[in-house]
Amino acid sequence: MASKTVQLEIKRQASPDAPAVWEKFELEWRPGMNVTSSLMEIAANPVTADGHATTPITYDSNCLEEICGSCAMRINGKARMACSALVDNLEQPIRIEPLSKFPLVRDLQVDRAVLFENLKAVKAWVPVDGTYDLGSGPRVFPQQQEVNYPLSNCISCTCCMEVCPQFNEETGFVGAATIAQVKLFNNHPTGKVFKEERLRALAGDGGIQECGFAQNCVEVCPKKLPLTNAISDVSRDVLIQKAKDFLRS
Amino acid sequence: MATAQHPSAPTLRPGVQPLRAGQGTSFLWRKLHSLLGIIPIGAFLLEHLLSNFEALKGPAAYGAQVRFLNSLPMVRILEWVFIFLPILYHGLYGVYIWVRGNSNIVYYPWAGNWMYTAQRYTGLIAILYIGQHVLRQRFMGISLPENPGAAFAKVQHELANPWMLAVYVIAMIAICWHFAYGIWLFAAKWGIIPGVKARKRFGFVCAALGLALAIMGLVSMWAFISPRYKNTPDIVPLTTTQLHIQNAQPAYTLL
Ligand code: SF4
Ligand code: SF4
Ligand code: FES
Repeated sequence: MASKTVQLEIKRQASPDAPAVWEKFELEWRPGMNVTSSLMEIAANPVTADGHATTPITYDSNCLEEICGSCAMRINGKARMACSALVDNLEQPIRIEPLSKFPLVRDLQVDRAVLFENLKAVKAWVPVDGTYDLGSGPRVFPQQQEVNYPLSNCISCTCCMEVCPQFNEETGFVGAATIAQVKLFNNHPTGKVFKEERLRALAGDGGIQECGFAQNCVEVCPKKLPLTNAISDVSRDVLIQKAKDFLRS
Repeated sequence: MATAQHPSAPTLRPGVQPLRAGQGTSFLWRKLHSLLGIIPIGAFLLEHLLSNFEALKGPAAYGAQVRFLNSLPMVRILEWVFIFLPILYHGLYGVYIWVRGNSNIVYYPWAGNWMYTAQRYTGLIAILYIGQHVLRQRFMGISLPENPGAAFAKVQHELANPWMLAVYVIAMIAICWHFAYGIWLFAAKWGIIPGVKARKRFGFVCAALGLALAIMGLVSMWAFISPRYKNTPDIVPLTTTQLHIQNAQPAYTLL
């Protein structure tokens, strides 16, 4: 009996400077398979569709349930999470490539440290470190929680940056994720101690002004963050902060 | 590989550099670009389209409008400070914004992404068109500030060429598009409409405005090519009485 199969085409690159090559794989179809599980199967038996032995494919993944943010890659041209990309919903052959805007490490693995640097640059945290007990924090009312919760869902997958036409080496744009986190931490009763600093940081080169409002970020975000709303709100806050700074200088 | 490294960037890495927190002046230049698009450029566009509409009342009324505009105090300074220089800056900085972005509608054919791309192409059409329009109508041929009565015929001769007419029609639509979406972008990016629903509603408002302006512009063009004012003399006398008579004619009698 001829069993149903799944065709994959994967872009591979042995090192950052090695030439890119496409390899084809054919796997036996199984119910519920997704792109990450397919990559695992290839790792278990790394043989290409035409029978050549090859190396297992390098990729990031961790939670396997779209909550850690590590498995972002381009699947049939679009950035998305591999673990939630069900094979049955994809056109075949499934073409898999690494994200295009981040330095390549190997195969499908890229270095997305820039997001971490950006989050540090805007102090995207609540400052509670100290040498003594600070006691319990201020209350956050449910109404405020409703606004903040969706923003706290970011999994740092960088999909919003990958699809952003403004995120590139020319602009050095900070990207939507960091802007959304600025809104989140500025809303926090303790986090807002850094509000002015965060807003000033975002007015730097590569800051919020680089956004062209193409709205790709909000379309692609796997966690459905209200990114364009955040960009709009934070833009206004940055503008007001700059105006205040100018008048008080 | 290794791109120019900003001193504040924490580590030397290839790829997109992290935010240069609080450094540089691009925020100011970008916001200036954005603001100028509304005031004075957008305001001037409205004035220009309204003035064009006077053409429907005939050559004398149109000439009188040109004379009125040129009689404004310090008009030559106004012209440079509120029209030429802002448009030049908005246009050049706009091209600079364009070349630094990378359009990706092939992979992500979403509405917002289309509009992002359209805003760049309509802007390019606008700057090319405005360049030739200002040169040919303001700085070449008979000088209209001195001879406002010649305004109608000058435009009429221009539009008599079907290629020129096509250029004007395309530019009119592109500019109204660019302005309408520009207002929307301004409101979105300055935090005036942070809500999804509000942005959608305001999108309809802007679309209606853009459409109305484009129609208004195209209808005014009709005055110059319609048989009614065929062969307008190169300079029409602009007496107040004549103006009065021309004004008395309702616009719809032309159509
Ligand atoms: S709205 Fe567009 S330009 Fe702005 S961050 Fe999102 S994808 Fe990038
Ligand atoms: S905002 Fe969305 S797309 Fe961007 S990093 Fe966070 S989860 Fe990913
Ligand atoms: S493996 Fe964690 S999001 Fe896909």
